[in-house]
Amino acid sequence: MRSRKYRLQGAGLDLALPYLMLAPGLLIVLGVLVYPLWDGLRASTKAYRYGSVVADVGMQNYIKLWSDPQFLNALWVTIEFVALSVTFEAILGFALALFCLREFRGIRLLRTILIIPMVITPVVVAIVFRLIYASDAGMLTAISEWTGGGQVQILGSPVKAFFGLVVLDVWEWTPLMFLILLAGLQSLPHEPFEAARVDGAGNWRVFADLTFPMMRPVLAIAIVLRTIDAFGTFDQVFVLTRGGPGEATRLVSIYGYDTAFKFQQTGYAAALFVTIGLVVLALAFSAVRLLRRVDAS
Amino acid sequence: MSSVLYQSVVKNYGALNVLRSLDLAVPDHMFLALLGPSGCGKTTALRVLAGLDMPSAGKLFIGERDVTRLQPRDRDIAMVFQSYALYPQMTVGENIGYPLWIRGMPDAERRVKIDEVAAVLEIGHLLDRLPRQLSGGQRQRVALARAIVRDPAAFLMDEPLSNLDARLRLTMRGEIKRLCQRLGATTLYVTHDQVEALTMADFVAVMHGGELQQMAAPTDIYDRPANRFVATFVGNPPMNILPVILADQGIAIGGTPVAIPAARLAACRAAQVVETGLRPEDMSVSEPGAPNALPGEIYVVEPMGNETLVNVRLGGGNVSVRAGRDFRGAVGANIAVTFDVSNACFFNSAGLTAVHRVNSDGE
Repeated sequence: MRSRKYRLQGAGLDLALPYLMLAPGLLIVLGVLVYPLWDGLRASTKAYRYGSVVADVGMQNYIKLWSDPQFLNALWVTIEFVALSVTFEAILGFALALFCLREFRGIRLLRTILIIPMVITPVVVAIVFRLIYASDAGMLTAISEWTGGGQVQILGSPVKAFFGLVVLDVWEWTPLMFLILLAGLQSLPHEPFEAARVDGAGNWRVFADLTFPMMRPVLAIAIVLRTIDAFGTFDQVFVLTRGGPGEATRLVSIYGYDTAFKFQQTGYAAALFVTIGLVVLALAFSAVRLLRRVDAS
Repeated sequence: MSSVLYQSVVKNYGALNVLRSLDLAVPDHMFLALLGPSGCGKTTALRVLAGLDMPSAGKLFIGERDVTRLQPRDRDIAMVFQSYALYPQMTVGENIGYPLWIRGMPDAERRVKIDEVAAVLEIGHLLDRLPRQLSGGQRQRVALARAIVRDPAAFLMDEPLSNLDARLRLTMRGEIKRLCQRLGATTLYVTHDQVEALTMADFVAVMHGGELQQMAAPTDIYDRPANRFVATFVGNPPMNILPVILADQGIAIGGTPVAIPAARLAACRAAQVVETGLRPEDMSVSEPGAPNALPGEIYVVEPMGNETLVNVRLGGGNVSVRAGRDFRGAVGANIAVTFDVSNACFFNSAGLTAVHRVNSDGE
């Protein structure tokens, strides 16, 4: 006897099964990714007052951004922050990766210790750095006073606060660079390096003629990843300085947060974040294209 | 060009003994093949000479210089790697010119040298390509060009042909031999392929278990192997080994009495030989019942085109016999194997060759 169940196992089920199995995942993605994105895009074309839409403004929010000195300043601060942090992280990470490539006693332990910063919760890192930087009871002040100096002002000075933030970011994210670059270095073939040593190259020439050129694609990927990530830096700044003093450390993420939740300009904030999203997307695309070109040449 | 000398060189990796006191003298201009199975220490011997690995003990000399503790770049050698080890991001021209560039040779002079070796290896049209745009054979030529562009004290080659397909390997084998003869270069050539070793080298050093087994000219390696290992490692199919029983009047092989001249018998008896070795081409098949013939049955017949390999099961074990191209025989058929005992060599219980085959000059 042919039961209903039996027929369901035929060709029809074979066709439907993949979609049925994908459905839960797709629904979740639709709900938490696609809908909010679409809603954000929609919100960016509206004007809000006290949390409700009062007008349809089209592209006005986007146009206003480029004449908003606070936004332009935040964008500039962000670019400076990203450029400085990622550069230091790349250099430090590369140096550490090269060092940890050697085999010696305790190298495994050292590699493990070196990646600890990136697994600590960012907020915790920021709190710890606030304790280090604090002008009254901070660690730097304590050391300074112990050696006969006075109070150390970090978070009170615009320039020092900015660099304090960069130091925090470098401390926390150099390990990621290190990890990616170490993996890259370990995957390079051995023989060309041995050939270069036989051909007469010293350590520096081996690095300049072989290691660096061969690592360029990996380095580019690591830098792009970190750049995209650094553009969205929020929690450390929020805890450490809230964007201050003045606007010295006000990254676009902080400015956007203030716009949305302090000043209640939801539509304008949405336009701001969509713009930043597009900037990062463009950055990622151009980086990938650059990579392809490096690869093809 | 210079001579190369290994003096009691030992290399251990932890508890692993890769080279056990290697002594090897390679005269100037000699092409020496280091031959042995995987893990015999031949590549380690080369890497130690290149300075890529440090010996655990012993000394290394290139010419008169003690290079034991020198950096690879200070040893004045050139090396060709199994994987070619080309610099992936440099063009062919840059790859070839690198050893010169690193030594600060002016551009114009370098250009001339690059063109010169590129012409020798027929890769002049590839100079602007990148290594990944080349075929295996072309990469091999670039690696060779990079090695010969300088005039080093010695060339080291680590299985340079093993990544090529069989046909290309045959061509390159001849090319490398010609090239090395032309340059008159002292060359150490590592290979596990006995045909490469025998066809290319002036001398062959057979290694096994981190020890040198025998160093001799290819024909001597083949005809007068120093021990059982060399006898069975060199030759394809390998030398047949059969147990020997010494009797009063002669010897018995696989239960069959075999006549042997008195002088050889005396030598065998003095050395207390236990086994005999016979090359497949020194044996022939015949009808069962012939005098001095070892009876057996056909185990397998392998026609090779130019000849037929017949594997025969004898009382003392299986032997390979080279038969004519027209040989026909059924598996399991009765057959006999004959040979001239003067072509046999005899091993003692330690596996050393006690009595060699009789040379054409009667020795």
